Amino acid sequence: MGDGRAARLLRSAEGVAYWGAVAPVLARMPAALGYRIACWRGDWLYRSHTAKRANTERHLRLFLGELNRSAARHAARDWFRFASCEAVDVMRLRHRARPLRRLVEIEGREHLEAALAGGKGAILCCAHFGSYNSALSVLHTSGVPVTTIGRWQHKYTAGMSRFERRFWDWVVARRVRRHRQRPMIEPWPGRIEVAALAASALRDNEVVTISIDAPPLDSDKARAVDVRFLGTHARLVPGVVTLARLTGAPVLMCSVYRSADYRHQVIEISAPVPMAGDTAAAFGRCVAEVSTAIRRSPASWVYWPSPVDFDNLGMSPLGRHTAPARRLIPVGV
Amino acid sequence: METVINDYVSRELVQDPALLPLADDTSLLETGILDSLGLLKLVVFLEERFGIAMGDTDLLPDNFATVNAICAYVRAREPGRTEATHG
Repeated sequence: MGDGRAARLLRSAEGVAYWGAVAPVLARMPAALGYRIACWRGDWLYRSHTAKRANTERHLRLFLGELNRSAARHAARDWFRFASCEAVDVMRLRHRARPLRRLVEIEGREHLEAALAGGKGAILCCAHFGSYNSALSVLHTSGVPVTTIGRWQHKYTAGMSRFERRFWDWVVARRVRRHRQRPMIEPWPGRIEVAALAASALRDNEVVTISIDAPPLDSDKARAVDVRFLGTHARLVPGVVTLARLTGAPVLMCSVYRSADYRHQVIEISAPVPMAGDTAAAFGRCVAEVSTAIRRSPASWVYWPSPVDFDNLGMSPLGRHTAPARRLIPVGV
Repeated sequence: METVINDYVSRELVQDPALLPLADDTSLLETGILDSLGLLKLVVFLEERFGIAMGDTDLLPDNFATVNAICAYVRAREPGRTEATHG
């Protein structure tokens, strides 16, 4: 399948059919079979979506220099498989997420419990990595009160119809937000109450999650800082550090890894990250942990196929001939 | 109260020196002085300095639009004021 308008429409229709009809059926099958079929769909997308595949492989090799061509192809194929498996994860959130909880192990829960014992809540610092939305739902249903700071992608992706936005809200967001302590705190431009709402949850000794690898919106770019990310430089918003310092809440890293059988996952929660030093230094430690997680499981990071997101992260490979070299050539890989 | 809050906002939140000295009726939102994390800093300061407690429903832009608006909000929330209001 090419990448023309007809192909895009067909893929959009296929996505709607898969998430709306196929994935719910797969989620009711025995896990081994359901996730196997999801992987077949991922393989089909990998073969047919040539531009996305090419971008994914190119970015993987550019930013993870240790990957040879074969390893990059393997990671790109897994990226498509993981995306298909994520739909099954979301559909297994029914019945208080019990069908998914059977497949997910939580490591480092003691760190989170120790942090909450301090009485100032805890900030779980995540990335757009793995099946993080479903994993946080599992964490919440396991007894940890979780509230998320984040934007739903379907609300800000350009070119989506109103039908598509409603569809993704009904199919994905509705299932995920059911397993949160408070409504999602969405940091849109002009919403000045975001950090204060997060602080309110922390004061009640709850857990607030925030993904630190999101490309900054135009309105946030002035607050972004230069950090080393994936061996190069990126511009990211260090709000997590300011929030932690103002509230006294400890920051713990959280990553979700899918196992080789594609159906089992592990949520890994770290010990608190030191917040000493200036903001950029403290934030740099969090970003370094995200880089480490991505190197460990490259296929799990969401942004690989998107040149626009790399551009907004200040890591654009598109500008490699015109922008300063420090922003474009991976360092130390 | 206006002086205390104006001093704090000018010292901690104003990034652009061109906005100083800050008038009590200058819009903190339209000038970009107050963003999400700035509001959190301000809330922490107001709670500690004036002994008030702010709930989620108090976090309205109107309450923080200017130094004057902040003062009006704080006066309405100060301990004793609420009791007096309710008799």
